[in-house]
Amino acid sequence: MRQVGTAMKFSSIKTMPRNVVRDTMKSIERNNLMSAASVLSVIAALIILGIFLILTINVQEVTKDVESKLELKIFLQSDFTDTQKETIEQALEKSDLIENVTFESAEEALEKFTVSLEDYAPLLSGYNSENNPMPASFVVRVTDPEDMDEVQTLAMSFEGEGVEYVRYGQEYVEALVSFNKFTNTLSIVVLVVLSMISIFIIYNTIKLTVFARRREIGIMKYVGATNAYIRAPFILEGTLLGLMGAIVAFLIIRITYYYILGLVGGNLFLPVDASLASPDAVMGQLIFFFLLYGGFIGAVGSVFAIRKFLDV
Amino acid sequence: MIEFKNVTKGYDKNKSDALKNVSLFIDKGEFVFLVGRSGAGKSTFIKLLLREIEATEGSVYINNFNVSKLSKKEIPFLRRKMGIVFQDFRLLENKSVYENVAYAMEIIGKSEKQIQKRVPLALDMVGLSHRMNHYPHELSGGEQQRVVIARAIINNPSILICDEPTGNLDPETSYEIISILEEINRRGTTVVVVTHDREIVDTMKKRVLTLEDGILKVDDATGRYGYEV
Repeated sequence: MRQVGTAMKFSSIKTMPRNVVRDTMKSIERNNLMSAASVLSVIAALIILGIFLILTINVQEVTKDVESKLELKIFLQSDFTDTQKETIEQALEKSDLIENVTFESAEEALEKFTVSLEDYAPLLSGYNSENNPMPASFVVRVTDPEDMDEVQTLAMSFEGEGVEYVRYGQEYVEALVSFNKFTNTLSIVVLVVLSMISIFIIYNTIKLTVFARRREIGIMKYVGATNAYIRAPFILEGTLLGLMGAIVAFLIIRITYYYILGLVGGNLFLPVDASLASPDAVMGQLIFFFLLYGGFIGAVGSVFAIRKFLDV
Repeated sequence: MIEFKNVTKGYDKNKSDALKNVSLFIDKGEFVFLVGRSGAGKSTFIKLLLREIEATEGSVYINNFNVSKLSKKEIPFLRRKMGIVFQDFRLLENKSVYENVAYAMEIIGKSEKQIQKRVPLALDMVGLSHRMNHYPHELSGGEQQRVVIARAIINNPSILICDEPTGNLDPETSYEIISILEEINRRGTTVVVVTHDREIVDTMKKRVLTLEDGILKVDDATGRYGYEV
């Protein structure tokens, strides 16, 4: 019996699409009102999700951009010795929090400063290597900006033994990192809540379909249809509703996003020099996520809806 | 081939069992009536055959397979070996006669070519060729029951189970239906008819199994209705 069964299973999968597609289309048509409600709910959920997603992607991009420009400066005492310098350098290089360390001597610092103040060169012309007011320093890039604090502590442990003071944009980094965390968490919360709502609405729509066809399901079971065969059109229906919602929501967001970008003209009103993520890349991520998400919640809603009716 | 070995089925611990230690054997190609009052255990008997429910004790065999040991996934393939005819027909109202029968073949994945070849043959056998494109509501009760029979035999089952097939029909139509079942039986299919219809049972002179309060009371090979009304 098992062997016969397997052979039949294969042939039934082969001819399934014809019947399944036909039945699904009929069903969406028959339940047009509830189907429309499901699509609308997916659209609403995805638009809200999309706004959060765009926000998150952009905040991440800005954070990454700013982070890559962040460095920590360890200024040395004017009378540091070579031994002190080497001890500090070794300690920094040993730490795995640090990506790279460069030493900037007092002469190099003065030179840099002079170059940056080119227009006012006469002001600095009185200084030379004898009376150089600039301190020597280590310029440190950390692997993760969240570790800035720890690196500072490490550097400050050499205070008085070569290190004068340490400086980095502490408050700014902290604010940015915590804002980034906040938007990430918020997006996840919104994602979970809206997913549950959408799944619930699709679940109810498909349940109506299943209920309308419960006689048919019963007959199918008696004639020997497999559960997979019975389930297929309902899952297809739910998935299609989800995908329709995803496509409409994407178009609405795409049009609106480009319109707003055009109004703002790339001006971010941010206190730093950082750029937004490329709109095309954002949209690429968005449509990929939307299709995946729409299809997924449609399928999940349907699976829940039909489970109860399969036990005959 | 159907065999019950000491089958007991209880639904509720506080109530008496629906079937009590029933053992019976129906050979391949037999025509058997199963009779009994309401609540005697006839529905339970059919549900056990279809593996809609499982026996509390004992085992049910169909074509030498222990039905109780089938996994959930194998149940559909068990049901493909059986054709089922219901008292209330259970046709799909939005499908034509042809589509209702074809549907049973679509479900198990037969090709369009096979379907187009076999459905007219089955409808011819039950005498409904001329009604092929009609819808169930346009048919009489007897005609609807013939569609159901055509649907039940379309996949060549080895066993045909009929649950009160004449319950909603007048006597004349009932005899027509029973003679179709007899013809199907003559072609080699085992037929089990669950019925209340005393007259038909007495006329047909087939083997009669009588259930009473869950017990197999009479197994009469010569064909008399086993209990007095």
